Amino acid sequence: MIPDADAFMKAEQEWKSIRVNTLKIEKEALMERLQGRYEVREMPWYENGLFIKGDDISKNREYYLGYYHIQEAASMLPPLALQPEEEMVLDMCAAPGSKTTQMAMMMENGGIIIANDVNPIRLKALTHNIQRAMATNCIVTNYDGRYMDRIGIKVDKVLLDAPCTASGKIIKDKRLLEKWNYGRIRYMGSLQKALMGAACRMLDEGGVLVYSTCSIEPEENEDVIDYAIHRFNMEVEKVHLKGIKTREGIKEWNGKTYEWASKAIRVWPQDNLTEGFFICRLRKC
Amino acid sequence: MQIEKVLGRKEKKALEELLEKNYGCRIALQDYNIFMTAEEKIWLASPSINFSIFDVLKRCYRIGIYFGKLKRNNKIKLSIEGAMIVGKKARKNVVVINKEEAKKFMQGYDVVPDELIEAEMHNFVIVKCGDDIMGTGILRDGYVENLIPKARRMVKM
Repeated sequence: MIPDADAFMKAEQEWKSIRVNTLKIEKEALMERLQGRYEVREMPWYENGLFIKGDDISKNREYYLGYYHIQEAASMLPPLALQPEEEMVLDMCAAPGSKTTQMAMMMENGGIIIANDVNPIRLKALTHNIQRAMATNCIVTNYDGRYMDRIGIKVDKVLLDAPCTASGKIIKDKRLLEKWNYGRIRYMGSLQKALMGAACRMLDEGGVLVYSTCSIEPEENEDVIDYAIHRFNMEVEKVHLKGIKTREGIKEWNGKTYEWASKAIRVWPQDNLTEGFFICRLRKC
Repeated sequence: MQIEKVLGRKEKKALEELLEKNYGCRIALQDYNIFMTAEEKIWLASPSINFSIFDVLKRCYRIGIYFGKLKRNNKIKLSIEGAMIVGKKARKNVVVINKEEAKKFMQGYDVVPDELIEAEMHNFVIVKCGDDIMGTGILRDGYVENLIPKARRMVKM
């Protein structure tokens, strides 16, 4: 399943990544401030993403002021696939809020983001990051995403960055291999399908849903999308991302075929030295 | 989150006047949704947020950002973001600190100001370093008392 398995195992990150908070500062102004103290270079796939090398990037004045947010480079991709505008967007599993605040920035604080998370402890990190980012268009809620459709509202777009086994984070922590456990993958798969069901029911007709995980397991990715297609009348749309090497989704796994998989994308750690990610864009027919 | 009062046009104007009185500048707040929660805490949200949504969103934990808290004698204690909104134009109750003091300020220590701009003693002040708005404090005799919340402080800089 893993392309270039050797390279996958050896991949390591040298650079950290940050996202400029354009609600507070222009990118050029921030780069000017950081250069000299840090090595900084632009991210090819996102205009407000920067790679940075140096010590203590969370202990300087720019960070304190909320001029940037430390965010994994690949995790900036799902909001780019969703392209939120001035509309009602649901971020179903929002904590700690990296993608939420990125979307608020992309929406220039217009529209509404319902930033939800089931875990009250993680809500603190979420509200902290929303405050730092000065994201005024966010409403933070505390629902169990699996049953969130019961509240009876419809939204234009959903970002479902689902909880997962995080096997794509192997680039940061090789010990994840030791924790690999098929039972946990299956548990996550069923949780993700329950979240997907509620998310699909909350979407308006014609609405768009982006599903992402930082797992590389097909049970947590292609299988969940297949479930949405067959159960909720969802249609996969091709994701177009520039400046990053991506590969198609997995077309066959465990006796199942996923014909639509060429429209989904997988970001493999060895290709861009980022975390592994799966991203798929769906539209409700 | 229990909203106690959504501010109307007149109340927003009163808040603008309060800010003008305290910080010597006019801040346009009419374009925001502003509301109050317990202990006279003021919150700012985008105008696109329609409050009728809260008829269905019962488990609402937070809306928008925390702007500040009304205090006795027509004073207002601003959050860091509140200070950032007001501080760019503020002409009064502003203190300027140098880079070394700014480092201490971010860690939560009291600091010694380099310059006072129409700052009243024992009043809330906006703390600036160069063009950066660092947050708020209270001007005491010879120093600025730090009001940065613990969660925002930088330890071991």
